[in-house]
Amino acid sequence: MAAPMRLLVRRVIRLSHRNIHVSAAGASGRSGCCWGTSPCRCFSDDRNTHFGFETVPEAEKAKRVYKVFENVAQKYDVMNDAMSLGIHRLWKDTLLHVMHPQPGARLLDVGGGTGDIAFRFLEYVCSQQERQKRRATRSMQTPSWQDISNNYSTEDEDGPRESRAVVCDINKEMLKVGKQKADSMGIGAGLSWVVGDAEELPFDDDQFDIYTIAFGIRNVTHIDQALQEALRVLKPGGRFMCLEFSKVTNPVLARLYDAYSFQMIPVLGEVIAGDWKSYQYLVESIRKFPDQEEFKHMIEDAGFYCVQYYNFTGGVVALHSGFKL
Amino acid sequence: MAALLRGLRAGRAIRGLGSVVAAPTATTPQCRSLRRSFHCAALRLQDESKSDKPPSSSSTTYHEHYQAHTTEQYTTAASQGDSASDPAAEEASRPNTSYQDQSGEQGEEYETEEQLQARILTAALEFVPQHGWSMEAIAAGAETLGLSSASTGMFYNGAGDLVLHFIAQCNSQLTEILAEQHKQVQLGQAEPKKTADFLRDAVETRLRMYIPYIETWPQAMSILLLPHNIPDSLKHLSTLVDDIWYYAGDRSTDMNWYTKRAALTGIYNTTELVMVQDSSPDFQDTWNFLDNRIQDVVNMASTAKQVQSTGEAVVQGLMGAAVTLKNLTGVNQRR
Repeated sequence: MAAPMRLLVRRVIRLSHRNIHVSAAGASGRSGCCWGTSPCRCFSDDRNTHFGFETVPEAEKAKRVYKVFENVAQKYDVMNDAMSLGIHRLWKDTLLHVMHPQPGARLLDVGGGTGDIAFRFLEYVCSQQERQKRRATRSMQTPSWQDISNNYSTEDEDGPRESRAVVCDINKEMLKVGKQKADSMGIGAGLSWVVGDAEELPFDDDQFDIYTIAFGIRNVTHIDQALQEALRVLKPGGRFMCLEFSKVTNPVLARLYDAYSFQMIPVLGEVIAGDWKSYQYLVESIRKFPDQEEFKHMIEDAGFYCVQYYNFTGGVVALHSGFKL
Repeated sequence: MAALLRGLRAGRAIRGLGSVVAAPTATTPQCRSLRRSFHCAALRLQDESKSDKPPSSSSTTYHEHYQAHTTEQYTTAASQGDSASDPAAEEASRPNTSYQDQSGEQGEEYETEEQLQARILTAALEFVPQHGWSMEAIAAGAETLGLSSASTGMFYNGAGDLVLHFIAQCNSQLTEILAEQHKQVQLGQAEPKKTADFLRDAVETRLRMYIPYIETWPQAMSILLLPHNIPDSLKHLSTLVDDIWYYAGDRSTDMNWYTKRAALTGIYNTTELVMVQDSSPDFQDTWNFLDNRIQDVVNMASTAKQVQSTGEAVVQGLMGAAVTLKNLTGVNQRR
């Protein structure tokens, strides 16, 4: 899916940042001797990581991820619909229902390139506010004189708090596509677009009520660093929510899912987006990601409490949620 | 003191690691995991020393990490680990309890998630008149405690959690009041009340706790009747009734136990319904209704006794009449 692509791009940019720091070590020499799969530790900073089923140095991975997302940004949403048969919309809707944001909440959507989660968040909060307003007017339909005079005296207080959504992505192409979508849908208020790396977020501490990362964390090179950053930018009481592909529990479904992943998805990628390798990487990276329980332990290790996960579609997708208390 | 503890903990960690290293085969992945665990332990010690946040949160996470970490080490060395893991598990559990017993900052601020949830719900109660029994009230309560409104996600049952928490709080308050009265009677400072009066006072005290929320109480009652809340609400109701009867002095062990509690449950529920739609000053109509119902139950109890004794007398009379008839008709005679 495009989400892993986004993460790839993010990783690429992160790795490119690291490249700037380590450039003195001799980039060309590194690419020459460390291409292999053996645990070659030529330089202290240069470790290997998985890129799908391959083992690559982190610098290479970053570049490849960036190229992947650059290619598919325009066709990202179309590919999502094609690969998941439209079910990804249901997953994202369920994420919002579980989140149940209160009016005035601030959302940070990391790896949210084309803005799906942020748009849904703003719609949800708007409809909540409308419902509250309707309830208030219904209860005020026969106001006493006391109520009317109270209303007049409190007219100049601030209105209901505005909810804000910030979409952060490492890839500018994806953000561009997202901005175009927002303009065409007419959603403008309360939405900001920021370029940033999940492992090093450009925000202060204690800023956001809710941190979401949908189909993005799989491509982050250092997942624990991303989790630490999430903990940092969340307010006390804030919620971390991660929607990600995970291990299918049912063995029959698992076989079907594997067959579909490895046979159909790269073909769809070639036909629709003209890029076989990116979608091959996509399905491989899903297999390399830790399963539900292990990821839950990672989240708890980062310092979150009340960590829980929900399986969707038999475990194809899992929603992990934790609180900063 | 804290530094000494840290040193002790580090020593235990290294000792724990050492017992794994002592195992015969040490393949590369194990070496790597050991190195990683050393690295992690060192990082954690560093984090502890430079963190400015309340020590409780870091100490609890440290405990979780420590326990999770020692179990992780021993699962990687599973083949050799069985004998080594048991003493190490004890080691891992010991620091936790000893740490809790320590006085000082850590003991006061250490709080479980349940305690925090209870605090949020208690804070949310003051917003109930404004928002009703709903997630908005919980969100407002969380915000007064300085937590983000997103923490309402911890309450999977939503408004049901709030109502059940309130009910549990009321029940425990009532139990305290009844225990206090009982103590007074034991000490001889107060007269023991008659059962009917005791029940009336107990039910009235309990229902008066609803008065601040009486506007929204119908909503709360409907939430309690939702299918997934019924087991919990029935449990709270049964403990309430049981407590009242216990302090009223009921020690019965036969059918009376059930009949008494059933009667009081009926009285309590009907009085609650009357209270919800009562508009008299200080709910005087409700208390009159309560008096009448308790009087009914008392009357019914004495009536039941009378009926039973009358019934016995009637049966005896009939038996006597039957024997007399048999004598008269000569059926009883021996041939």
